[in-house]
Amino acid sequence: MAAALLRAGVTTFTRSIKYHRPRGPFCLGGSCGQCLMRVDGVPSLPACRVLARAGSSCQRQNAPLGSVEADVLRAADFLFPAGLDHHHLFTSSRALGRVALELARRLGGLGELPDRELPPIPGRAREVEVAVVGAGPAGLAAAAEQGADAVVIEREAAPGGASLFGIDPGCAEPSWVEQTARALGDRLWLRSEAVGLYVDATPLLAVQGPQGLTALRARRVVVATGGVSQPLAFPGVDRPGVYAARGLVKLARDHGVRVGASLVVVGEGEELIHCSRALVREGYRLEALVDAGDEPCPAPADLPWRRARPLRAKGNPVRRLVLDDGARIDCDAVAIALPPAPLHELASGAGARTRFQQGGFAVEADERGRTDVPWLFAAGRVAGRGGGQARDSGVAAGREAAHG
Amino acid sequence: MAEKALLCACEDVTVHDVEVAMAHGHRDIESVKRYTGLGTGPCQGKSCAAGAMRILARAGLPESARVSFRARPPLSPTRIAEYAGLPLEAVEQLGDTPLRLADPDPSAEALRPREPLPERADVVIVGGGIMGLALAWNLCRLGGKSVVVLERDYLCAGASGRNGGGVRAQWTTPSLIELATESIDFMSRFAQELGINVWLRRGGYLFLAHDAATAVRLEAGTSLQRRFGLATRIISPDEALDLVPDLDRRRFVSASWNPDDGVVFPWPFLWGYAEGARRLGARIEAFTRVTGLEASGGRVRAVRTDRGAIRADSVVVACGAWSPAVARMAGVELPNVPYRHEIASSEPLKPFLGPLVSMLGTGLYFSQSMRGEIVGGMGDHDEPPGANQSSSLRFLARYSAALAELMPRLGDVKMLRQWAGLYDVTPDGSPVLGESPGVAGLLQMSGFVGHGFMMAPAVARRMAAWMGGAADEMFERFSARRFAEGRLERETMIIG
Repeated sequence: MAAALLRAGVTTFTRSIKYHRPRGPFCLGGSCGQCLMRVDGVPSLPACRVLARAGSSCQRQNAPLGSVEADVLRAADFLFPAGLDHHHLFTSSRALGRVALELARRLGGLGELPDRELPPIPGRAREVEVAVVGAGPAGLAAAAEQGADAVVIEREAAPGGASLFGIDPGCAEPSWVEQTARALGDRLWLRSEAVGLYVDATPLLAVQGPQGLTALRARRVVVATGGVSQPLAFPGVDRPGVYAARGLVKLARDHGVRVGASLVVVGEGEELIHCSRALVREGYRLEALVDAGDEPCPAPADLPWRRARPLRAKGNPVRRLVLDDGARIDCDAVAIALPPAPLHELASGAGARTRFQQGGFAVEADERGRTDVPWLFAAGRVAGRGGGQARDSGVAAGREAAHG
Repeated sequence: MAEKALLCACEDVTVHDVEVAMAHGHRDIESVKRYTGLGTGPCQGKSCAAGAMRILARAGLPESARVSFRARPPLSPTRIAEYAGLPLEAVEQLGDTPLRLADPDPSAEALRPREPLPERADVVIVGGGIMGLALAWNLCRLGGKSVVVLERDYLCAGASGRNGGGVRAQWTTPSLIELATESIDFMSRFAQELGINVWLRRGGYLFLAHDAATAVRLEAGTSLQRRFGLATRIISPDEALDLVPDLDRRRFVSASWNPDDGVVFPWPFLWGYAEGARRLGARIEAFTRVTGLEASGGRVRAVRTDRGAIRADSVVVACGAWSPAVARMAGVELPNVPYRHEIASSEPLKPFLGPLVSMLGTGLYFSQSMRGEIVGGMGDHDEPPGANQSSSLRFLARYSAALAELMPRLGDVKMLRQWAGLYDVTPDGSPVLGESPGVAGLLQMSGFVGHGFMMAPAVARRMAAWMGGAADEMFERFSARRFAEGRLERETMIIG
C-alpha cells in the first residue's frame, strides 16, 4: 500500500499524535510506526505491510479538524516549538486544568474504533526442540544445523533477511539462501513473526502468522532477528520525504518505486558508504553523502562525500537539507543510513544482557552464540555480528543450540 | 521559527523533552521513558531507544547503566482477536518462572548515588512507592521531622508504577469508602498542591454483574455507599449501554454506576510527591538498597543500606508486596503474600470509552487512558503466590477473550504491550498499618491488595498526623496484631 501511494505521489500518510505534524513512511519495513493508516475500516495499520488490493479503502488518520493536508490542529506544533512538558502544563489553576484535560482527552489517540466486529481467530499450539527466529543469513545458517524437530520463523514473505538488500558486502549469496531455504521445506514459516518470548518451564513463543497465533513451545531458541533502520534526531527528520536508506533500496528492488531522482544521504560509518552505493545501483543520483558520525568514515573518491551534521530538513515533503557547514542542498528526498539497531527485544526481554554501541543494544553472546540464558542463543546482527560475520555466527549458534 | 528534533515519532517526543526530563532528575532510561513517553507508541521503542541512549550517554550515564528499557511484549502490535483465539491449554503455565529479576542488577549498581546518606534521621521510610512518598510529603508539611525515603530501584519500579490508574470510592467497608473519597478529592487538587498533572479524568466506574448472585452483591455495596453520600446507583443494562454503547448486552444482568470515580496517570503522582517532599527538605534516595534493620531493647534503631547506615527513631515499612521481607529484618512477621497481577495496553484510539468498566465476578476491568489506550487487566484464580513480575501469554489470551466477548468491536484493535506487578494480599483484604508487635518505632504501611495507589493521599495524611501524636483509631484497627487476635476487617469488592 505504501509503495502504491508513494508511486502516486502521496507523501503525507497521517498526522502525528500530539503536534499533528505531517508524517509519511520512514523505515518501509514495518517497524517505525510512521505510516499507520486506516485500511478497510481497521485503524492504524502500517501501510508498508498491507497488501494493496483493488477496491481497498485506505484513509489517513488523526486530522479531526480540517484535512490531513491542512490540519488546523498543527497549531499545537507551533505553540510548543521545542516540545511539550505536559506534566507541568496549566498546574496553577483548577479551572485551567479542567480545560486542558478536556482538550488533551479529545486530542488524544490516533485511530477510530474498527468498523466491524471481529470474532476470535482460532490459534494453535506446537512444540519443537529448537525455534530459530529470523531467516536471514544468520538464522538460515543456524537452521541448517538443526534436525527435523526445528522451525524457522520469518516475518517477511521470503527468506534472506538483510542479504535481500544487496547492501552488506560478504553477506549471503541468493543461491545459498534459496538452497538453504528449500532444504528446510515446511519447517520455514514465512509471513510469521515472533511477537513474544515468554519464560515458563519451557520457553514459549507467540508467533503471529497468516492463520492467527501459534503458541510455540521450544526447548531452545536461536534469536537471529537482525536489525531495524534508525532515524537521526535532528530538526525536521520526522517530515515526509525523509526515509531509511535501506527502506528506499527495498522499495526500488521490490516495487520498482523511487521517491524522486536525487537524494541526500545522511549517516555514519560503513553503513553510509554501503547504502549510498546501493542507492546509486537502484538509479538514484546522490547530491551528497553527509557523514555525521562521531568518527569520520574513509572518504570514498567516487561519491560526493562531506563531513557535516544536518541542522534542518525543510519542505513538505522535504526538498532541502541544511548542514552545519553552511551548505543548503536541494534534493527530492533525504535518506538516513545509520547502522541498523539490533532487534534485541525478544532476547533481552527473556533476560539476556545487552551492550550499548553506536548502532543500538546488541545481545551479549560468546563466539558460540551462547547468551547468559542457558536455552537462548543469538546470532547475526542482533548479536553485533551482522554483514560478513552473520553466516558464521549462525552456524556456531545453530550447532550449540542443536547439541544443547 | 524553530523546528522540532523528533526523537520518538510515535509519541512526538523531542530531544528537548529528554533534556527536560534529565533536568527534573531523571537520568536512567526507565525514568526518562516514563517521563517523556518515548518508546510507548506503536513501534515500542525500536526507532528511538538507541537515540535516547545516545543522549543519556553523552550526558555521562555510566556504561553499565546503558541498557535498553525493559522490552514489553508484543514486539509488534497484535490483534485482540488473535490472542482471544488462543486455546487456553496451549498457554497454560507449566511451572514457576525462573526469575532473573532477583539477580544483582549491574545497571542499578551503576546508578547508585555516590554522595553519603545522612547519619541520622527522625523517620526513615523504606519504599519509594506512592505510600512512602505521600507519607514523606505529609510529614514534611507538618514539619519538625527529618525524613529520608529509600528506594532500591527507580521511583516507578514497583506496583505504584505498574497499576492501571483506576480510582474509585465504590468499596464495601466504611473505612475504605472514607479513605478513597478523601483521596480522590485530593487528586482533583493535586496539580495545584504539588505542581504536576495527574490527569484525573472522572469518567465514572461502571460495575457489571454477570449473574443474579453478583447483582445482589452490587446492590448491597450500592446501598452502603449511598449511606456514605456517594452518588452510586444501580442502573439497568439499557442504561449501561447508553454509557458504553459497544457493550454486548447479553453478557450482564445488572450494573452499578458511580459518575465521580475515574482514572489517573500513575507516574506523575509519585514524582509530584517526591518533588514536593524534596522541596520541603526530605531526602528521596533512589537506587539505594536496604540490607538490614537494627533493633535492640524492643526498639528499632537504624536502617542499614548499601550506602551505609542511618540511625532513626521511626522506620516505616512501605514496600508493598516486599514488606514482609523488610519487616523480617527486624524479626517481625507479616502475613502479606505477593500475587502477580497482569495488565495490558492497546494501541491509542480516539476517545470512545468514558468510564472504567469492570465485570465483577470474572475480574475483568478496562478503561481508556488520556492517551487513548485501552488499559486493563483481569484476575486469575489459578495464579500461584510469589513475587513473579514477568508477563504471560496466558494472561493476554484470557484478558483478550474476555474483552472481545464483552465488546466485540475490539477484535481488530491491537495490543501494544503488557506488564505485571504485585498485589500485596492480606488475609482479610484490609491493610496493615501502625506499630509492629514487639518492635517499637517500626511502623507498617502495607497490605493494600492492589488498591493502595488510590488510597494513598488519605492514608498518608492520617499516618503523618498519627505519627505526630494525633489519635486515630485506624492505626489500632488495622494493626498487624489483629491477625494473631483473629479480628479481621473484611473487604470484598476487590477486582483482579
